[in-house]
Amino acid sequence: MNLKSLIRHETFLALLLVVVLIVLSFQSDRFLTVDNLLNQGRLMTEIGLIAIAMTFVIATGGIDLSVGSILGLTAILTGVFWQNVGLPLPVAATAAIAVGTFAGFVNGVIITRFRVPPLIATLATLALYRGLAEGISQARSVRGYPEWFYVLGQQDVLGVPTQLWILFLAAVVASVILAYTTWGRTVYAVGSNEVASRFSGLSVEKTKLALYTASGFAAAIAAVIFVSRVSTTRSDMGTGIELDAITAVVLGGTSIFGGRGTVVGTIIGLCLIQALKNGLSLAGIKGDGTIMLIGAVLILAILASNLFERSGTRT
Amino acid sequence: MTTTVEATARSRSVPARPGFFKRLFAEYGQEVVVLAAIVVLFAVVTMVNPRFISANNLTTIFSGNAYIAVAAIGMAMVIVTGNIDVSVGALIGVLATISGSLAVAGYPIWFAWLAPVLVGMAVNAVIGVLVAYARIPSIVVTLGALSILRGGLISVTGGTWITDLPPDYLIAQKQILGLPVPLVFMVVLTLLAAFWMRYTAFGRSLYAIGGNAEAALATGIPIARRTVAVFVIHGAFAGLATILFATQLQVIQSTVPPNLELTVITAAVIGGVSILGGSGTVIGSTLATILFATIGSALIFVNVSAYWLRAVIGLLILATVLADMLRRRGRG
Amino acid sequence: MSSSTAYVSLTGMSKSFGGVKVLKEVSFDVRPGEVHALLGENGAGKSTLIKMMSGLYTPDAGTITVDGHDVKFSSTRDAGAAGIATVYQELLLFPELSVAENVFLGNYPRTGAGIIDWAEVRRRTRDLLDQLDTFDLDVDAKVLSLSVAQRQRVEIAKALSKNARILIMDEPTASLVESDVQRLMAIIRQLRERGVGIVYVSHRMPEIFALADRVTVLRDGAHVATKDIGEVDENQLVAMMVGRSIESLFPKAQATIGDTVLRVKNLNHGRHVRDISFELRRGEILGIAGLVGSGRTELALTLFGMTPATSGEIEMEGRAVRIASPRQARDLGIAYVPEDRSLQGLVKSMAIRKNVSMATIERLSSGIFIKAGEEAQRALDAVKRLSIRCRNIGQPVGELSGGNQQKVVIAKWLETMPKVLILDEPTRGVDVGAKAEIHTIMGELVKQGVAVIMISSELPEVLGMSDRVLVMSGGRITGEIDRADATPERVGTAMTAHRTGEAA
Repeated sequence: MNLKSLIRHETFLALLLVVVLIVLSFQSDRFLTVDNLLNQGRLMTEIGLIAIAMTFVIATGGIDLSVGSILGLTAILTGVFWQNVGLPLPVAATAAIAVGTFAGFVNGVIITRFRVPPLIATLATLALYRGLAEGISQARSVRGYPEWFYVLGQQDVLGVPTQLWILFLAAVVASVILAYTTWGRTVYAVGSNEVASRFSGLSVEKTKLALYTASGFAAAIAAVIFVSRVSTTRSDMGTGIELDAITAVVLGGTSIFGGRGTVVGTIIGLCLIQALKNGLSLAGIKGDGTIMLIGAVLILAILASNLFERSGTRT
Repeated sequence: MTTTVEATARSRSVPARPGFFKRLFAEYGQEVVVLAAIVVLFAVVTMVNPRFISANNLTTIFSGNAYIAVAAIGMAMVIVTGNIDVSVGALIGVLATISGSLAVAGYPIWFAWLAPVLVGMAVNAVIGVLVAYARIPSIVVTLGALSILRGGLISVTGGTWITDLPPDYLIAQKQILGLPVPLVFMVVLTLLAAFWMRYTAFGRSLYAIGGNAEAALATGIPIARRTVAVFVIHGAFAGLATILFATQLQVIQSTVPPNLELTVITAAVIGGVSILGGSGTVIGSTLATILFATIGSALIFVNVSAYWLRAVIGLLILATVLADMLRRRGRG
Repeated sequence: MSSSTAYVSLTGMSKSFGGVKVLKEVSFDVRPGEVHALLGENGAGKSTLIKMMSGLYTPDAGTITVDGHDVKFSSTRDAGAAGIATVYQELLLFPELSVAENVFLGNYPRTGAGIIDWAEVRRRTRDLLDQLDTFDLDVDAKVLSLSVAQRQRVEIAKALSKNARILIMDEPTASLVESDVQRLMAIIRQLRERGVGIVYVSHRMPEIFALADRVTVLRDGAHVATKDIGEVDENQLVAMMVGRSIESLFPKAQATIGDTVLRVKNLNHGRHVRDISFELRRGEILGIAGLVGSGRTELALTLFGMTPATSGEIEMEGRAVRIASPRQARDLGIAYVPEDRSLQGLVKSMAIRKNVSMATIERLSSGIFIKAGEEAQRALDAVKRLSIRCRNIGQPVGELSGGNQQKVVIAKWLETMPKVLILDEPTRGVDVGAKAEIHTIMGELVKQGVAVIMISSELPEVLGMSDRVLVMSGGRITGEIDRADATPERVGTAMTAHRTGEAA
């Protein structure tokens, strides 16, 4: 493993984050306040959960483009199960999450059983799952959830937004799994050399199947949090979130070819993106202009780390 | 020498050349499948509802989606070389705004048409250089470009639509020889591109690069330069697609259809362009675009809610991909 | 046909990689219309020499003259322009493109309008293939649908299309079945008659004596001799190649042979594993000889659960077992050190430590957590025991030499405490020193009671190391020969037996 170059990328990124935070705090007094930062954390939870699962998927050399559609489908089903089918909300949400997880499992089956390249497989299910969401919802949105449901997306536990706890927990668990367990080791091995992994008796197919299922699960959880945060469900929820999540993962140092990457890197990448979005909008730059900057940061960060690596490890 | 005699004797048992259809299928398997699907769909839906093949509906099917087919031509070339571009949807949005603004500002119409092509080439030249010379994977570069273009578009337009377009500018609503301009664009550009990819050394080198980069290098093909070139050409097609997209309505919206880039990629892939590079044709990508449009229209004519459109297309893509995989596995 | 003046001469060629001199002032020449065989063990410098001739490497010292003129090749294109073409072992073709296009890619005939003249491309390809007596190859077929032998003929046609004067063939028969070998030899003779000079790299003595006009032997990067083929016999050539006798090269360790550990009966999988039955005992080295494509590797893959048997019985220590995956094989005590080290054996970007533990990672864990300390300790032990030369156990395996990489793969599988260790080409691409070390390791393993199956293309290695030799051809066992009776002739005869029905 290129531990050195990895650390270098993450350190570089963390430094960049610090610089950005300092610069932005000079731009606006409201930026570096506890309230604002916690609120930003709230906003990045959904992408965060998806990006954490995506880190694993990309580290195996795969990709999952269907997460945004799974999010939309799960959101719609939560509403439909609750309002139209008449299930109690907790049951409805659980059932919807189960469907979202199953959607991820289907991705895994298509990729492992039928050997369809992940990009194509999830491109197809991206259309399929979003289509199901649109078909089921018939463009109707579901509103009027009970008050307690908003605890998840709009309120705090111990002074910290509820969903931020979930993201934090997910990040810690995922980091530990990726860094210290046999499962994490398998992920890196598969991403670096799938054939050799198979020849070493690692369960390549099972691992991949589990990862795509987990990716579906993460998107489904994100969906319920999303619904709770915005108080409504719509079939277009989560459109394009896959690209945001991939951006965070790649920015965080995970190689798009697999074999390399950490959850910490992804989280730093995520924070960097969110800080830029927020800080710039506070500084008066129009909200969508910040997206441009994120794109530029993505390209420049990879360019910089490419240059580092080449000058550093050339023998 | 006995062995030579033996080999000559073999010549008498030369296997017959396989039949025309078998050869057609071997070379253009996916294209034939897609074409057959279109024909079957037309036949079935027309039986249910004869108005399906009215001139009016055909115009909708072919013209309304021509810009996707044109964009998919460039995308097919990029994918053939083993790269990908997820930013083309956002690029088309930006180019449409540039073109419309120029038209409204009173610049000559031809300039408003030419500008998106040139800007598209310039933007993609930068992308191509980053991919070919800075060695950043194309998916990463274009992911970044997607953010930059999308953000740029919204922050510049502020979400407002461009209206009061000069009537002469709206070329997509005009006709050439009684045929809608988008249809003519789509057909002519597809044939030109297909010819270029089949009959020029440059066009063939795209297949070589995507099929076996190492061997391409050994053959003396300048891979980096060709990669930049193919992105630039792709940019030109994005510009041409923009002309059709921007001029099809009386206004230019500040957004493009969601996931437009994925639709364009899907058209190329379903048309038979291997995502791993090295094979596929633009005839296939155009046929696939027509297939999607036909399905969309067909659903309306057989009274399926339009809301199910994407689910059906998704299912169809999945079926095509699985069938292709099984076919390949059967072969090898 | 052969004239006496050389078309290409290389004089005093030297080349070093990372301080190691792999070629020391070697001279070599090729005349028009001759077949010049190039012989030497793995690592003797053959491939370095031909890579210089074909423009892939630039020499550190030495001169190349073509047709009497001094030249410098900085790319394969330069060499191609000078009339030198190479048919590579790993063929450089485009699988998705047609035969005709592969022949003329980058060199298309054009019509008056400047576009590619496909009719002409196909017609000229047809001509070239016909000249090679290859009437049965469709010029429109995609290369991915062709057999190895057919692809090779496409490569040769490609060389001829550029009017190559010199054709370099690097182990062209390594992966051909016998009938295709005969056909290739006919083609080579025909090319020779047309005045093409051929550099023929091969290990196989019968082919060399059947084809070559002259032969050059390299050993340890140095030129040993260049002789007319009439001046030498096989024993002399082997002696020149090896530089010592086979006995001293393969120190056979004496181990006591114990009970049967593996029994295979009527095993089948596809075309390459047919009706295989044999027994393997503790402390025994069972050599498997056979040409590439004879089913040796496929048999190993079936025993290892990679391509599970479709019928037949496998018994481990008297118990009937089914092996459906490498995991199951591992748990039963079967280990496989694969043929393709880079692709199948190692994760090159990962540290030695992680590669060594890869097959035993569950055992090195408590619950789901990897015991990092124990993992490191075991890796250190393995490095010491197999004398793997490295900076530390955190070094990526890709940075090691071929021999040390191979030792890491062996270490990985020794961690599983195998009862049966299958070694597929264990010393391919390994220098002479490491080769001896690997043989010593094998000797120690059998002393500890491990049963070893060794697949090798090198006949001397098979004969020198094995207690018993199984010979395979066409997916079947065509001979089982005890050490005492194993002579090159007997094994060679069995290797080419059963060739019917295997033609492409």
